[in-house]
Amino acid sequence: MATNAVTVARDDFLNAARSHVVLAVVAAFVGSVALVFLAEMDLFADPYRTLYDVAQLLVLIGPILLAPLTYLAIVGDLTSGRIKFVLGLPNSRLAYFAGKVLARSAVAVAAVTASVIVGFAIALVTFANSPGVANFLLFAGASALYVLAFVSIFVAISASVRSRSRAMFAVVAVYFVLVPFWLGMTPPLTLETLFSAAGDLLGTTISESTRNFVRRLSPLMAYGGLIEPIFVEGADQYDRFAHFGGEPTAVHDRLWFFLAVLGCWTLGSLGLGFLQFRRAELG
Amino acid sequence: MTAIETTALTKRYGDVTAVEGLDLTVESGEVFGFLGPNGAGKSTTIDLLLGFQRPTEGSATVLGHDATDESRELRARTGLLPEGYELYENLSGFDHLRSAIEIKSADDDPAALVERVGLDRSDARRPVGSYSKGMTQRLALGIALVGDPELIVLDEPSSGLDPDGIRLLREIVREEADRGATVVFSSHVLDQVERVCDRVGIMADGELVAVDNIEDLRADLGANEVVDVDVATTPDPTVVSDIDGVVDATVADGTVRAECASPEAKSAVVARIGEHTSVRDFEVTDASLESVFAQCTATAAAGPAENGAVTDGIDLDGESTTEADGTTEAGAGRESDDSDGGRSIPLLGGE
Repeated sequence: MATNAVTVARDDFLNAARSHVVLAVVAAFVGSVALVFLAEMDLFADPYRTLYDVAQLLVLIGPILLAPLTYLAIVGDLTSGRIKFVLGLPNSRLAYFAGKVLARSAVAVAAVTASVIVGFAIALVTFANSPGVANFLLFAGASALYVLAFVSIFVAISASVRSRSRAMFAVVAVYFVLVPFWLGMTPPLTLETLFSAAGDLLGTTISESTRNFVRRLSPLMAYGGLIEPIFVEGADQYDRFAHFGGEPTAVHDRLWFFLAVLGCWTLGSLGLGFLQFRRAELG
Repeated sequence: MTAIETTALTKRYGDVTAVEGLDLTVESGEVFGFLGPNGAGKSTTIDLLLGFQRPTEGSATVLGHDATDESRELRARTGLLPEGYELYENLSGFDHLRSAIEIKSADDDPAALVERVGLDRSDARRPVGSYSKGMTQRLALGIALVGDPELIVLDEPSSGLDPDGIRLLREIVREEADRGATVVFSSHVLDQVERVCDRVGIMADGELVAVDNIEDLRADLGANEVVDVDVATTPDPTVVSDIDGVVDATVADGTVRAECASPEAKSAVVARIGEHTSVRDFEVTDASLESVFAQCTATAAAGPAENGAVTDGIDLDGESTTEADGTTEAGAGRESDDSDGGRSIPLLGGE
């Protein structure tokens, strides 16, 4: 099964790479990150301060850049008939599904890795203070987990629907809920207004700790929690980082919780997607 | 040994029935033709046989494996040329073949496969996205042949192929059959099926309306060949009606038309007419399978047929019915439809 999954992944990856889709996605990530570092080289002395802005950018545009690469991963094959070629060979559905996830994840991780390497190189040359290797490694690892969560969600959607339009609608809807809605960027419809509405309906006030717990359940907030240690050293230097640091007290402030949240989104969505795909009609 | 066996195989999509109560047996080593118009249920049946879809009712066993629960195992022993497929447009023909060989754990030589299906090696190195439909079809055929599969399923394989490609396809089907492979050849192109298949099954509206070898189908439905002989002076039709194998004879507008149940009768008709008058031209219309196909698909409301017998109750223009014992009841036996230049083909057997 593993061999077949690798073969499916290789074919899928090479097909995308030769159409320059991979190059375009990697270039978009690298270009975006490079621009942020170049724009801030004279603003801040510390590269880790710019990593914070890069993180904000990745949170917003990372899923958008990856969506075109992922939402047709399986439903595109289904509607074009390519799935009959791949599954006409003795590939199991699991091998096919895993191959698709592997190929698309590889592109996402490659894009994040390349952008962080380029960011590090620019910081090394242009920033007053040298970039911390550990900070960049942590940032790269956490960012990879973040984009993998969205790749998994989008591929799972692709495996669960039977038309391209439904896949596109679902991907946009999930992005809206997990990013702008959760971040409070779309008033009056945000997570905070939902808390208020739920409190009003229940006739009570939702406690701040409960709100914080729910807030941390999204991939982007878990990602924020993972990269928080990078910015602790700037708590005294940058106002934006003033609230960072200190021992975590609540469960939802602990490292394992952040990893668990991202793991649940990644593995949970893949599991649900495969359950749908396992019994899907491929005609 | 049985390669494919379905029992009351049924597939419904809501109120729409794609395949209804399909009982079919295909023996190992057989070249089985699957005929029917678009939408008849052929591709859905193939999807059910390969586990791409789950039956609503009934079951299918392919090479001893349950088609739904052991799909991967049966696909390991099967080569498929699907209908309406797409390959990886940026991978080459060789890339596709290498992947198929790898996945099937086979030891085929990709170059030999490319040569066998009539693709140039230089073409096989190019991305498939630059291929014509015919080249893609040849490559897909090559992929289906990887690993010398015990069962080869070809769904509309001649689609996009030029005459050379179609001839090569027939050769390959025969070679594979000689090797011992079972071939399922699904098509709506009657000529292709007739030329390569040992038996044919005709589907219409989701039902299998006839299964038999072509000669028996012809005989059972009285779908005989027709010889039209243009003559200088019209003789009496009785000059040919006593020839052994001539079912019916008529004369009209300087043409003698004789319906022949055996190949030998055709030449005898021309020779006999030549004894009485000058023969200007003659034409043989082998409308046999086409007429069987048309009749079967036009009257799909009839029940399914068993192997070796045309379905009882197929209404042959309302002029004859096949009896339970396989004999046919003679009737007027002629459908006249010359308005569009078509042949009138009497579908009744018997003298």
